[in-house]
Amino acid sequence: MTTTGTETPLDLLVERATRTRRLVVDMAAGPRGCHLGGSLSVTDLLVAALDRAGRDEGTEVVLSKGHAAAGLYAALHTSGVLAENPAPHYGLAGHPYTGHPSAHVPGVSFPTGSLGHGVPYAAGWALSRKLSGKPGGAIAIVGDGELQEGLVWETCQVAAAQGLGNLVLLVDANGGQNDGPVSRISPLEHLSERFAAFGLRTAETEGHDMAALTSLLDRGPDPSGRPLAVVASTVKGKGVPAVEGKAGSHYVRIDAARAARWKRRIT
Amino acid sequence: MTLSGREAYRDELTLLAREDPSIICLEADLGGARHPFEEAHPDRFFNLGIAEGAMIDMAAGLAAAGYRPFVSTFAPFATLRAAESLKLTLGYIGAGVTVVAPYAGVSGAWFGTTHHGLEDIAVARSVPGVTVAAPHGEQEMRAVVREAAASGRPHYVRTGRNAVHESLSPAATAEPLVWDRHAGPGDVCLVSVGEEGTRLCTEATAVRDGLAHAHLCYLDHENLSSITGLLGERYSRFVVVEEHRAEGGIAEALALLMPRNEVHGVNAGRAWPTEGGDHHEVMASLGLHLPAVLDTVDRLTGPAPVSVRRPDATLTNA
Repeated sequence: MTTTGTETPLDLLVERATRTRRLVVDMAAGPRGCHLGGSLSVTDLLVAALDRAGRDEGTEVVLSKGHAAAGLYAALHTSGVLAENPAPHYGLAGHPYTGHPSAHVPGVSFPTGSLGHGVPYAAGWALSRKLSGKPGGAIAIVGDGELQEGLVWETCQVAAAQGLGNLVLLVDANGGQNDGPVSRISPLEHLSERFAAFGLRTAETEGHDMAALTSLLDRGPDPSGRPLAVVASTVKGKGVPAVEGKAGSHYVRIDAARAARWKRRIT
Repeated sequence: MTLSGREAYRDELTLLAREDPSIICLEADLGGARHPFEEAHPDRFFNLGIAEGAMIDMAAGLAAAGYRPFVSTFAPFATLRAAESLKLTLGYIGAGVTVVAPYAGVSGAWFGTTHHGLEDIAVARSVPGVTVAAPHGEQEMRAVVREAAASGRPHYVRTGRNAVHESLSPAATAEPLVWDRHAGPGDVCLVSVGEEGTRLCTEATAVRDGLAHAHLCYLDHENLSSITGLLGERYSRFVVVEEHRAEGGIAEALALLMPRNEVHGVNAGRAWPTEGGDHHEVMASLGLHLPAVLDTVDRLTGPAPVSVRRPDATLTNA
Protein backbone atom coordinates (compact mmCIF):
# COMPACT_ATOMS: atom_id res chain seq x y z
CA MET A 1 0.00 0.00 0.00
CA THR A 2 1.61 3.20 -1.15
CA THR A 3 1.50 6.11 1.24
CA THR A 4 0.52 9.33 -0.43
CA GLY A 5 -0.07 11.54 2.60
CA THR A 6 2.01 12.51 5.57
CA GLU A 7 1.92 10.48 8.74
CA THR A 8 -0.76 11.39 11.24
CA PRO A 9 0.65 12.28 14.67
CA LEU A 10 0.08 9.48 17.13
CA ASP A 11 -1.53 11.69 19.75
CA LEU A 12 -4.08 12.79 17.18
CA LEU A 13 -5.03 9.18 16.46
CA VAL A 14 -5.32 8.44 20.18
CA GLU A 15 -7.53 11.48 20.63
CA ARG A 16 -9.60 10.34 17.66
CA ALA A 17 -10.09 6.96 19.32
CA THR A 18 -11.22 8.63 22.52
CA ARG A 19 -13.82 10.70 20.66
CA THR A 20 -14.91 7.59 18.79
CA ARG A 21 -15.53 5.72 22.04
CA ARG A 22 -17.58 8.59 23.43
CA LEU A 23 -19.76 8.56 20.34
CA VAL A 24 -20.24 4.80 20.70
CA VAL A 25 -21.44 5.34 24.28
CA ASP A 26 -23.82 8.00 22.94
CA MET A 27 -25.28 5.37 20.61
CA ALA A 28 -25.64 2.93 23.50
CA ALA A 29 -27.70 5.63 25.18
CA GLY A 30 -29.95 6.03 22.14
CA PRO A 31 -33.31 4.36 21.77
CA ARG A 32 -31.84 1.23 20.16
CA GLY A 33 -28.76 0.67 22.26
CA CYS A 34 -25.84 -0.86 20.35
CA HIS A 35 -23.22 -3.59 20.23
CA LEU A 36 -21.12 -1.73 22.76
CA GLY A 37 -18.43 -4.19 23.82
CA GLY A 38 -17.28 -5.09 20.31
CA SER A 39 -17.50 -1.50 19.10
CA LEU A 40 -15.20 -0.38 21.91
CA SER A 41 -12.75 -3.25 21.44
CA VAL A 42 -12.39 -2.55 17.72
CA THR A 43 -12.14 1.24 18.00
CA ASP A 44 -8.35 1.52 17.85
CA LEU A 45 -8.20 -0.91 14.94
CA LEU A 46 -10.78 1.11 13.04
CA VAL A 47 -9.08 4.42 13.70
CA ALA A 48 -5.69 3.09 12.63
CA ALA A 49 -7.09 1.36 9.54
CA LEU A 50 -9.13 4.37 8.41
CA ASP A 51 -6.11 6.60 8.90
CA ARG A 52 -4.07 4.23 6.78
CA ALA A 53 -6.73 4.21 4.07
CA GLY A 54 -7.02 7.98 4.18
CA ARG A 55 -3.33 8.32 3.45
CA ASP A 56 -3.19 5.57 0.83
CA GLU A 57 -4.41 5.64 -2.70
CA GLY A 58 -6.96 2.93 -3.34
CA THR A 59 -7.07 1.26 0.04
CA GLU A 60 -10.44 0.04 1.26
CA VAL A 61 -11.36 -0.74 4.86
CA VAL A 62 -14.07 -3.37 5.33
CA LEU A 63 -15.49 -3.93 8.81
CA SER A 64 -16.41 -7.56 8.42
CA LYS A 65 -17.66 -7.83 12.01
CA GLY A 66 -20.55 -5.62 10.98
CA HIS A 67 -22.30 -5.78 14.34
CA ALA A 68 -19.72 -3.22 15.50
CA ALA A 69 -21.47 -0.74 13.21
CA ALA A 70 -21.67 1.86 15.99
CA GLY A 71 -17.88 1.79 16.21
CA LEU A 72 -17.56 2.08 12.45
CA TYR A 73 -19.95 5.03 12.14
CA ALA A 74 -18.23 6.81 15.01
CA ALA A 75 -14.76 6.18 13.60
CA LEU A 76 -15.82 7.29 10.12
CA HIS A 77 -17.06 10.52 11.67
CA THR A 78 -13.98 11.21 13.78
CA SER A 79 -11.77 10.30 10.82
CA GLY A 80 -13.49 12.92 8.68
CA VAL A 81 -15.03 10.51 6.19
CA LEU A 82 -18.57 10.91 7.48
CA ALA A 83 -19.49 14.54 7.94
CA GLU A 84 -22.63 13.97 9.98
CA ASN A 85 -22.46 12.88 13.60
CA PRO A 86 -24.25 9.52 13.36
CA ALA A 87 -24.89 9.10 17.09
CA PRO A 88 -28.23 10.93 17.37
CA HIS A 89 -29.58 9.01 14.38
CA TYR A 90 -28.34 5.47 15.07
CA GLY A 91 -30.98 2.88 14.27
CA LEU A 92 -33.66 5.45 13.56
CA ALA A 93 -36.05 5.70 10.62
CA GLY A 94 -34.98 8.11 7.95
CA HIS A 95 -31.28 7.54 8.57
CA PRO A 96 -28.89 4.96 7.07
CA TYR A 97 -27.21 4.00 10.34
CA THR A 98 -28.60 0.52 10.68
CA GLY A 99 -27.35 -1.96 13.25
CA HIS A 100 -25.19 -3.56 10.59
CA PRO A 101 -23.65 -1.29 7.97
CA SER A 102 -24.58 -0.87 4.34
CA ALA A 103 -23.22 1.09 1.40
CA HIS A 104 -25.84 3.74 2.08
CA VAL A 105 -23.45 5.17 4.67
CA PRO A 106 -20.69 7.39 3.25
CA GLY A 107 -17.40 5.58 3.51
CA VAL A 108 -18.94 2.11 3.46
CA SER A 109 -18.67 0.12 0.22
CA PHE A 110 -19.99 -3.28 1.25
CA PRO A 111 -22.80 -4.50 3.50
CA THR A 112 -21.55 -6.57 6.39
CA GLY A 113 -23.01 -8.20 9.44
CA SER A 114 -23.64 -11.65 8.11
CA LEU A 115 -20.27 -12.75 9.38
CA GLY A 116 -17.49 -13.78 7.06
CA HIS A 117 -18.47 -11.89 3.93
CA GLY A 118 -16.32 -8.84 4.55
CA VAL A 119 -13.15 -10.84 4.04
CA PRO A 120 -13.89 -11.90 0.45
CA TYR A 121 -15.23 -8.42 -0.35
CA ALA A 122 -11.87 -7.07 0.76
CA ALA A 123 -10.03 -9.82 -1.10
CA GLY A 124 -11.91 -8.95 -4.29
CA TRP A 125 -10.96 -5.32 -3.91
CA ALA A 126 -7.33 -6.26 -3.27
CA LEU A 127 -7.38 -8.45 -6.38
CA SER A 128 -8.75 -5.55 -8.41
CA ARG A 129 -5.82 -3.35 -7.36
CA LYS A 130 -3.34 -6.07 -8.17
CA LEU A 131 -4.99 -6.75 -11.51
CA SER A 132 -5.00 -3.12 -12.53
CA GLY A 133 -1.43 -2.59 -11.39
CA LYS A 134 -2.55 0.25 -9.16
CA PRO A 135 -1.39 0.88 -5.61
CA GLY A 136 -3.57 0.15 -2.63
CA GLY A 137 -5.29 -2.86 -1.25
CA ALA A 138 -7.74 -3.77 1.47
CA ILE A 139 -7.92 -4.09 5.23
CA ALA A 140 -10.60 -6.45 6.50
CA ILE A 141 -11.36 -6.16 10.20
CA VAL A 142 -12.76 -9.39 11.59
CA GLY A 143 -13.81 -10.56 15.01
CA ASP A 144 -12.26 -13.60 16.61
CA GLY A 145 -15.67 -15.21 17.00
CA GLU A 146 -16.23 -14.49 13.32
CA LEU A 147 -13.31 -16.75 12.52
CA GLN A 148 -15.62 -19.67 13.22
CA GLU A 149 -17.21 -18.94 9.83
CA GLY A 150 -15.87 -21.16 7.07
CA LEU A 151 -16.02 -18.36 4.52
CA VAL A 152 -13.14 -16.60 6.26
CA TRP A 153 -10.85 -19.58 5.81
CA GLU A 154 -12.15 -20.28 2.33
CA THR A 155 -11.06 -16.76 1.45
CA CYS A 156 -7.69 -17.07 3.21
CA GLN A 157 -7.05 -20.08 1.01
CA VAL A 158 -7.99 -18.13 -2.12
CA ALA A 159 -6.14 -14.96 -1.11
CA ALA A 160 -2.91 -16.83 -0.47
CA ALA A 161 -3.27 -18.76 -3.72
CA GLN A 162 -3.84 -15.52 -5.65
CA GLY A 163 -0.86 -13.84 -4.03
CA LEU A 164 -2.77 -10.96 -2.49
CA GLY A 165 0.10 -9.36 -0.66
CA ASN A 166 -1.96 -6.17 -0.48
CA LEU A 167 -4.62 -7.73 1.76
CA VAL A 168 -4.57 -7.34 5.55
CA LEU A 169 -6.79 -9.24 7.98
CA LEU A 170 -6.98 -7.40 11.25
CA VAL A 171 -8.41 -9.64 13.95
CA ASP A 172 -10.16 -7.93 16.85
CA ALA A 173 -9.41 -10.71 19.32
CA ASN A 174 -11.58 -9.60 22.21
CA GLY A 175 -12.33 -13.17 23.25
CA GLY A 176 -16.08 -12.73 23.26
CA GLN A 177 -18.97 -13.61 21.04
CA ASN A 178 -22.73 -13.38 21.26
CA ASP A 179 -23.35 -16.26 23.65
CA GLY A 180 -20.20 -16.04 25.73
CA PRO A 181 -16.43 -16.51 25.61
CA VAL A 182 -14.90 -17.75 22.39
CA SER A 183 -12.71 -20.06 24.44
CA ARG A 184 -15.74 -21.88 25.78
CA ILE A 185 -17.91 -21.96 22.66
CA SER A 186 -15.42 -22.80 19.91
CA PRO A 187 -11.82 -22.05 20.87
CA LEU A 188 -9.26 -20.71 18.42
CA GLU A 189 -6.05 -22.21 19.69
CA HIS A 190 -2.82 -21.39 17.89
CA LEU A 191 -4.54 -18.73 15.83
CA SER A 192 -1.45 -17.20 14.28
CA GLU A 193 -0.20 -20.63 13.37
CA ARG A 194 -3.49 -21.32 11.63
CA PHE A 195 -3.10 -18.23 9.46
CA ALA A 196 0.53 -19.13 8.79
CA ALA A 197 -0.53 -22.61 7.74
CA PHE A 198 -2.81 -21.00 5.14
CA GLY A 199 0.18 -19.12 3.73
CA LEU A 200 -0.34 -15.75 5.36
CA ARG A 201 2.25 -13.61 7.07
CA THR A 202 1.30 -13.15 10.69
CA ALA A 203 1.82 -10.66 13.46
CA GLU A 204 0.50 -10.37 16.98
CA THR A 205 -0.01 -7.11 18.77
CA GLU A 206 -1.75 -5.41 21.63
CA GLY A 207 -4.86 -4.09 19.92
CA HIS A 208 -5.06 -0.86 21.88
CA ASP A 209 -1.47 0.18 21.19
CA MET A 210 -1.92 2.76 18.47
CA ALA A 211 1.79 2.99 17.74
CA ALA A 212 2.04 -0.75 17.23
CA LEU A 213 -1.05 -0.83 15.04
CA THR A 214 0.06 2.00 12.78
CA SER A 215 3.50 0.47 12.50
CA LEU A 216 2.03 -2.84 11.36
CA LEU A 217 -0.30 -1.20 8.88
CA ASP A 218 2.55 0.89 7.51
CA ARG A 219 4.14 -2.29 6.22
CA GLY A 220 3.87 -2.34 2.47
CA PRO A 221 2.51 -5.21 0.46
CA ASP A 222 4.49 -8.38 0.73
CA PRO A 223 6.69 -8.71 -2.38
CA SER A 224 6.15 -12.46 -2.30
CA GLY A 225 2.39 -11.93 -2.35
CA ARG A 226 1.42 -13.23 1.06
CA PRO A 227 -1.53 -11.53 2.76
CA LEU A 228 -0.96 -10.32 6.32
CA ALA A 229 -2.97 -11.48 9.33
CA VAL A 230 -2.65 -9.36 12.44
CA VAL A 231 -4.02 -10.89 15.62
CA ALA A 232 -4.73 -7.90 17.82
CA SER A 233 -5.49 -8.72 21.44
CA THR A 234 -8.24 -6.41 22.60
CA VAL A 235 -10.57 -5.96 25.54
CA LYS A 236 -14.30 -6.07 25.08
CA GLY A 237 -15.73 -2.77 26.27
CA LYS A 238 -12.28 -1.14 26.25
CA GLY A 239 -12.26 2.37 27.66
CA VAL A 240 -15.34 2.09 29.85
CA PRO A 241 -14.27 0.54 33.16
CA ALA A 242 -17.83 -0.44 34.05
CA VAL A 243 -17.99 -2.89 31.15
CA GLU A 244 -14.38 -3.68 30.30
CA GLY A 245 -13.86 -7.38 29.83
CA LYS A 246 -17.46 -8.23 30.62
CA ALA A 247 -19.39 -10.56 28.33
CA GLY A 248 -22.55 -8.64 29.18
CA SER A 249 -21.21 -5.64 27.28
CA HIS A 250 -21.96 -7.34 23.96
CA TYR A 251 -25.19 -5.41 23.48
CA VAL A 252 -26.01 -2.54 25.81
CA ARG A 253 -28.66 0.10 26.19
CA ILE A 254 -28.14 2.71 28.87
CA ASP A 255 -29.75 5.94 29.99
CA ALA A 256 -28.32 9.40 29.39
CA ALA A 257 -27.05 9.89 32.94
CA ARG A 258 -25.06 6.66 32.85
CA ALA A 259 -23.72 7.56 29.43
CA ALA A 260 -22.50 10.88 30.74
CA ARG A 261 -20.69 9.15 33.61
CA TRP A 262 -19.12 6.57 31.32
CA LYS A 263 -17.97 9.18 28.81
CA ARG A 264 -16.20 11.15 31.54
CA ARG A 265 -14.17 8.03 32.37
CA ILE A 266 -13.00 7.57 28.77
CA THR A 267 -9.60 9.09 28.29
CA MET B 1 -20.99 -26.75 -35.35
CA THR B 2 -23.55 -25.62 -32.82
CA LEU B 3 -22.24 -25.15 -29.32
CA SER B 4 -23.84 -26.13 -26.04
CA GLY B 5 -25.01 -23.38 -23.72
CA ARG B 6 -21.94 -23.38 -21.53
CA GLU B 7 -19.57 -23.64 -24.49
CA ALA B 8 -21.37 -20.72 -26.11
CA TYR B 9 -21.04 -18.72 -22.89
CA ARG B 10 -17.31 -19.30 -22.71
CA ASP B 11 -16.77 -18.54 -26.36
CA GLU B 12 -18.87 -15.38 -26.41
CA LEU B 13 -17.28 -14.03 -23.24
CA THR B 14 -13.84 -14.70 -24.67
CA LEU B 15 -14.79 -12.71 -27.78
CA LEU B 16 -16.27 -9.84 -25.79
CA ALA B 17 -13.19 -9.58 -23.61
CA ARG B 18 -11.08 -8.75 -26.66
CA GLU B 19 -12.83 -5.39 -26.84
CA ASP B 20 -13.69 -4.88 -23.18
CA PRO B 21 -10.75 -4.98 -20.79
CA SER B 22 -13.08 -4.76 -17.79
CA ILE B 23 -14.41 -8.29 -18.35
CA ILE B 24 -13.03 -10.87 -15.93
CA CYS B 25 -13.75 -14.57 -15.85
CA LEU B 26 -13.86 -16.39 -12.50
CA GLU B 27 -14.27 -20.11 -12.04
CA ALA B 28 -14.49 -22.34 -8.98
CA ASP B 29 -12.63 -25.31 -10.39
CA LEU B 30 -15.39 -26.36 -12.78
CA GLY B 31 -14.22 -24.50 -15.86
CA GLY B 32 -12.32 -27.37 -17.35
CA ALA B 33 -8.64 -27.75 -18.10
CA ARG B 34 -8.60 -25.76 -21.34
CA HIS B 35 -10.95 -22.86 -20.79
CA PRO B 36 -10.96 -20.66 -23.91
CA PHE B 37 -11.03 -17.48 -21.84
CA GLU B 38 -7.92 -18.57 -19.95
CA GLU B 39 -6.14 -19.35 -23.19
CA ALA B 40 -7.04 -15.98 -24.74
CA HIS B 41 -6.86 -13.73 -21.68
CA PRO B 42 -4.80 -15.50 -19.01
CA ASP B 43 -4.28 -12.32 -17.01
CA ARG B 44 -8.04 -11.92 -16.53
CA PHE B 45 -8.92 -15.53 -15.79
CA PHE B 46 -8.97 -16.76 -12.22
CA ASN B 47 -9.69 -20.27 -11.08
CA LEU B 48 -10.26 -19.49 -7.41
CA GLY B 49 -10.56 -23.11 -6.45
CA ILE B 50 -13.52 -24.83 -4.84
CA ALA B 51 -14.78 -21.72 -3.09
CA GLU B 52 -18.13 -20.66 -4.51
CA GLY B 53 -19.14 -18.23 -1.78
CA ALA B 54 -15.76 -16.51 -1.76
CA MET B 55 -15.86 -16.32 -5.55
CA ILE B 56 -19.16 -14.46 -5.71
CA ASP B 57 -18.20 -12.15 -2.83
CA MET B 58 -14.83 -11.41 -4.41
CA ALA B 59 -16.66 -10.55 -7.60
CA ALA B 60 -18.41 -7.82 -5.59
CA GLY B 61 -15.02 -6.37 -4.71
CA LEU B 62 -13.90 -6.52 -8.33
CA ALA B 63 -17.13 -4.94 -9.55
CA ALA B 64 -16.73 -2.11 -7.03
CA ALA B 65 -13.43 -1.33 -8.75
CA GLY B 66 -15.12 -1.12 -12.16
CA TYR B 67 -14.57 -4.62 -13.48
CA ARG B 68 -17.28 -6.80 -15.06
CA PRO B 69 -16.86 -10.18 -13.41
CA PHE B 70 -18.49 -13.24 -14.93
CA VAL B 71 -18.42 -16.13 -12.48
CA SER B 72 -19.42 -19.68 -13.16
CA THR B 73 -20.16 -22.75 -11.13
CA PHE B 74 -22.84 -25.40 -11.25
CA ALA B 75 -26.41 -24.23 -10.62
CA PRO B 76 -26.89 -26.02 -7.28
CA PHE B 77 -23.67 -24.57 -5.89
CA ALA B 78 -24.31 -21.06 -7.20
CA THR B 79 -27.83 -20.77 -5.87
CA LEU B 80 -27.84 -22.94 -2.76
CA ARG B 81 -24.32 -23.24 -1.36
CA ALA B 82 -23.58 -19.61 -2.22
CA ALA B 83 -27.16 -18.38 -1.77
CA GLU B 84 -26.29 -15.67 0.73
CA SER B 85 -23.48 -14.36 -1.44
CA LEU B 86 -25.90 -14.30 -4.35
CA LYS B 87 -28.41 -12.34 -2.29
CA LEU B 88 -25.89 -9.81 -1.01
CA THR B 89 -23.65 -9.37 -4.05
CA LEU B 90 -26.20 -9.47 -6.86
CA GLY B 91 -29.21 -8.26 -4.91
CA TYR B 92 -28.39 -5.96 -2.03
CA ILE B 93 -25.17 -4.50 -3.43
CA GLY B 94 -26.52 -4.73 -6.98
CA ALA B 95 -23.01 -5.42 -8.23
CA GLY B 96 -22.57 -5.86 -11.97
CA VAL B 97 -21.75 -9.52 -11.59
CA THR B 98 -23.04 -12.26 -13.90
CA VAL B 99 -23.36 -15.78 -12.52
CA VAL B 100 -23.47 -18.42 -15.25
CA ALA B 101 -24.73 -21.72 -13.94
CA PRO B 102 -24.44 -24.93 -15.97
CA TYR B 103 -25.89 -28.21 -14.71
CA ALA B 104 -29.28 -26.60 -14.17
CA GLY B 105 -32.23 -28.92 -13.75
CA VAL B 106 -31.18 -32.55 -13.82
CA SER B 107 -28.71 -32.11 -16.65
CA GLY B 108 -26.16 -33.57 -14.23
CA ALA B 109 -28.17 -36.76 -14.76
CA TRP B 110 -26.41 -39.82 -13.30
CA PHE B 111 -24.14 -37.59 -11.20
CA GLY B 112 -27.01 -37.54 -8.75
CA THR B 113 -29.03 -35.13 -6.69
CA THR B 114 -26.07 -33.20 -5.26
CA HIS B 115 -25.38 -32.08 -8.81
CA HIS B 116 -28.95 -31.27 -9.76
CA GLY B 117 -30.39 -27.77 -9.74
CA LEU B 118 -34.17 -27.91 -9.65
CA GLU B 119 -34.53 -25.02 -7.22
CA ASP B 120 -32.27 -22.41 -8.81
CA ILE B 121 -34.93 -20.33 -10.57
CA ALA B 122 -36.87 -20.02 -7.32
CA VAL B 123 -33.78 -18.80 -5.47
CA ALA B 124 -32.56 -16.42 -8.17
CA ARG B 125 -36.01 -14.97 -8.84
CA SER B 126 -36.52 -14.25 -5.15
CA VAL B 127 -33.59 -11.83 -5.10
CA PRO B 128 -34.81 -8.42 -6.27
CA GLY B 129 -32.81 -6.70 -8.97
CA VAL B 130 -31.33 -9.82 -10.52
CA THR B 131 -31.99 -10.46 -14.19
CA VAL B 132 -32.68 -14.19 -14.51
CA ALA B 133 -32.18 -15.85 -17.88
CA ALA B 134 -32.54 -19.39 -19.18
CA PRO B 135 -31.43 -19.18 -22.80
CA HIS B 136 -32.13 -21.97 -25.24
CA GLY B 137 -29.39 -22.80 -27.68
CA GLU B 138 -26.16 -21.21 -28.75
CA GLN B 139 -27.41 -18.00 -30.32
CA GLU B 140 -29.68 -17.08 -27.46
CA MET B 141 -26.93 -17.76 -24.92
CA ARG B 142 -24.56 -15.55 -26.88
CA ALA B 143 -27.15 -12.77 -26.94
CA VAL B 144 -27.74 -13.07 -23.18
CA VAL B 145 -24.02 -12.88 -22.46
CA ARG B 146 -23.68 -9.81 -24.69
CA GLU B 147 -26.60 -8.15 -22.98
CA ALA B 148 -25.23 -8.92 -19.52
CA ALA B 149 -21.82 -7.50 -20.41
CA ALA B 150 -23.29 -4.37 -21.95
CA SER B 151 -25.79 -3.68 -19.19
CA GLY B 152 -23.53 -4.03 -16.19
CA ARG B 153 -26.53 -5.27 -14.20
CA PRO B 154 -26.47 -8.41 -12.05
CA HIS B 155 -27.48 -11.51 -13.97
CA TYR B 156 -28.13 -15.15 -13.16
CA VAL B 157 -27.95 -17.33 -16.28
CA ARG B 158 -28.88 -20.99 -16.11
CA THR B 159 -27.89 -23.53 -18.69
CA GLY B 160 -27.46 -27.27 -19.04
CA ARG B 161 -24.48 -29.55 -19.27
CA ASN B 162 -23.35 -30.49 -22.76
CA ALA B 163 -26.62 -30.74 -24.70
CA VAL B 164 -26.74 -28.83 -27.97
CA HIS B 165 -29.85 -26.95 -29.06
CA GLU B 166 -30.67 -24.72 -32.00
CA SER B 167 -32.06 -21.42 -30.77
CA LEU B 168 -35.57 -20.55 -31.91
CA SER B 169 -34.50 -17.10 -32.94
CA PRO B 170 -31.14 -16.06 -34.38
CA ALA B 171 -31.79 -12.50 -33.14
CA ALA B 172 -28.74 -10.50 -32.19
CA THR B 173 -30.43 -9.45 -28.99
CA ALA B 174 -32.08 -11.71 -26.47
CA GLU B 175 -35.80 -11.06 -26.12
CA PRO B 176 -37.91 -11.88 -23.09
CA LEU B 177 -40.48 -13.58 -25.32
CA VAL B 178 -40.01 -15.45 -28.58
CA TRP B 179 -43.09 -16.69 -30.41
CA ASP B 180 -42.23 -20.04 -31.94
CA ARG B 181 -45.72 -20.86 -33.17
CA HIS B 182 -49.15 -19.29 -33.14
CA ALA B 183 -52.54 -21.01 -33.10
CA GLY B 184 -56.16 -19.99 -32.87
CA PRO B 185 -57.38 -17.71 -30.11
CA GLY B 186 -59.11 -20.54 -28.24
CA ASP B 187 -56.16 -22.88 -28.43
CA VAL B 188 -53.70 -23.79 -25.74
CA CYS B 189 -50.39 -21.95 -25.62
CA LEU B 190 -47.33 -23.84 -24.47
CA VAL B 191 -44.87 -21.68 -22.58
CA SER B 192 -41.32 -23.02 -22.54
CA VAL B 193 -38.62 -22.31 -20.03
CA GLY B 194 -34.98 -23.30 -20.47
CA GLU B 195 -33.33 -25.73 -22.80
CA GLU B 196 -35.33 -28.86 -22.04
CA GLY B 197 -38.64 -27.09 -21.57
CA THR B 198 -38.19 -25.57 -24.99
CA ARG B 199 -37.21 -28.88 -26.54
CA LEU B 200 -40.31 -30.55 -25.16
CA CYS B 201 -42.56 -27.78 -26.44
CA THR B 202 -41.11 -27.88 -29.94
CA GLU B 203 -41.59 -31.66 -29.95
CA ALA B 204 -45.17 -31.22 -28.81
CA THR B 205 -46.01 -28.70 -31.52
CA ALA B 206 -44.42 -31.00 -34.07
CA VAL B 207 -46.95 -33.75 -33.32
CA ARG B 208 -50.00 -31.67 -32.51
CA ASP B 209 -51.82 -29.06 -34.48
CA GLY B 210 -53.57 -26.27 -32.69
CA LEU B 211 -50.87 -25.57 -30.18
CA ALA B 212 -49.17 -22.21 -29.79
CA HIS B 213 -45.69 -21.99 -28.34
CA ALA B 214 -44.11 -19.02 -26.58
CA HIS B 215 -40.52 -19.34 -25.39
CA LEU B 216 -39.41 -17.26 -22.42
CA CYS B 217 -35.74 -16.36 -22.12
CA TYR B 218 -35.82 -13.90 -19.23
CA LEU B 219 -37.58 -15.08 -16.10
CA ASP B 220 -37.20 -12.43 -13.41
CA HIS B 221 -40.24 -10.59 -12.14
CA GLU B 222 -39.68 -7.45 -14.21
CA ASN B 223 -39.30 -9.35 -17.46
CA LEU B 224 -42.21 -11.70 -16.81
CA SER B 225 -44.39 -8.74 -15.94
CA SER B 226 -43.48 -7.14 -19.25
CA ILE B 227 -44.71 -10.05 -21.37
CA THR B 228 -47.88 -11.19 -19.63
CA GLY B 229 -49.89 -8.67 -21.64
CA LEU B 230 -48.53 -10.11 -24.88
CA LEU B 231 -49.44 -13.62 -23.80
CA GLY B 232 -52.85 -12.72 -22.46
CA GLU B 233 -54.00 -10.72 -25.46
CA ARG B 234 -53.66 -13.80 -27.71
CA TYR B 235 -54.43 -16.79 -25.49
CA SER B 236 -56.20 -17.61 -22.26
CA ARG B 237 -54.94 -21.13 -21.45
CA PHE B 238 -51.27 -21.82 -20.87
CA VAL B 239 -49.16 -24.87 -20.13
CA VAL B 240 -45.74 -23.94 -18.76
CA VAL B 241 -43.05 -26.56 -19.32
CA GLU B 242 -39.97 -26.18 -17.14
CA GLU B 243 -37.19 -28.35 -15.77
CA HIS B 244 -37.65 -27.06 -12.25
CA ARG B 245 -39.70 -27.68 -9.15
CA ALA B 246 -43.30 -26.51 -9.34
CA GLU B 247 -42.70 -24.45 -6.23
CA GLY B 248 -41.03 -21.21 -7.15
CA GLY B 249 -41.19 -22.02 -10.83
CA ILE B 250 -42.45 -19.97 -13.74
CA ALA B 251 -45.93 -21.53 -13.90
CA GLU B 252 -46.50 -20.41 -10.36
CA ALA B 253 -45.21 -16.94 -11.17
CA LEU B 254 -47.35 -16.57 -14.28
CA ALA B 255 -50.44 -17.77 -12.42
CA LEU B 256 -49.91 -14.94 -9.96
CA LEU B 257 -49.26 -12.40 -12.70
CA MET B 258 -52.19 -13.54 -14.88
CA PRO B 259 -55.09 -14.13 -12.50
CA ARG B 260 -57.67 -14.03 -15.29
CA ASN B 261 -55.96 -16.77 -17.25
CA GLU B 262 -55.64 -20.50 -16.82
CA VAL B 263 -52.03 -21.54 -16.12
CA HIS B 264 -50.97 -25.19 -15.86
CA GLY B 265 -47.55 -26.65 -15.35
CA VAL B 266 -45.47 -29.58 -16.47
CA ASN B 267 -42.38 -29.68 -14.30
CA ALA B 268 -40.03 -31.83 -12.24
CA GLY B 269 -42.48 -32.17 -9.38
CA ARG B 270 -41.41 -32.81 -5.81
CA ALA B 271 -39.50 -36.08 -6.03
CA TRP B 272 -35.75 -36.69 -5.70
CA PRO B 273 -34.19 -38.76 -8.46
CA THR B 274 -32.93 -42.01 -6.97
CA GLU B 275 -31.41 -43.71 -9.99
CA GLY B 276 -28.83 -43.06 -12.65
CA GLY B 277 -29.56 -42.62 -16.31
CA ASP B 278 -28.93 -40.02 -18.93
CA HIS B 279 -30.45 -36.54 -18.74
CA HIS B 280 -33.73 -37.46 -20.39
CA GLU B 281 -34.09 -40.66 -18.40
CA VAL B 282 -33.71 -38.79 -15.14
CA MET B 283 -36.20 -36.19 -16.36
CA ALA B 284 -38.60 -38.99 -17.24
CA SER B 285 -38.21 -40.47 -13.76
CA LEU B 286 -39.59 -37.18 -12.48
CA GLY B 287 -42.50 -37.24 -14.91
CA LEU B 288 -41.01 -34.61 -17.15
CA HIS B 289 -41.30 -35.90 -20.71
CA LEU B 290 -43.27 -35.41 -23.90
CA PRO B 291 -46.19 -37.67 -22.90
CA ALA B 292 -46.66 -35.55 -19.78
CA VAL B 293 -46.86 -32.40 -21.90
CA LEU B 294 -49.34 -33.98 -24.30
CA ASP B 295 -51.44 -35.44 -21.49
CA THR B 296 -51.70 -32.02 -19.89
CA VAL B 297 -52.79 -30.55 -23.22
CA ASP B 298 -55.30 -33.38 -23.65
CA ARG B 299 -56.89 -32.63 -20.31
CA LEU B 300 -57.54 -29.10 -21.53
CA THR B 301 -58.58 -29.80 -25.09
CA GLY B 302 -59.89 -33.35 -25.12
CA PRO B 303 -58.07 -36.35 -26.63
CA ALA B 304 -56.05 -35.89 -29.77
CA PRO B 305 -57.27 -37.45 -33.03
CA VAL B 306 -56.16 -41.07 -33.38
CA SER B 307 -54.09 -40.25 -36.45
CA VAL B 308 -51.71 -38.12 -34.47
CA ARG B 309 -48.56 -39.98 -33.55
CA ARG B 310 -47.27 -39.49 -30.04
CA PRO B 311 -43.57 -40.41 -29.93
CA ASP B 312 -41.67 -41.38 -26.86
CA ALA B 313 -39.40 -38.77 -25.37
CA THR B 314 -36.17 -38.79 -27.33
CA LEU B 315 -33.13 -39.95 -25.45
CA THR B 316 -30.32 -38.21 -27.23
CA ASN B 317 -28.52 -36.27 -24.57
CA ALA B 318 -25.08 -37.55 -23.66
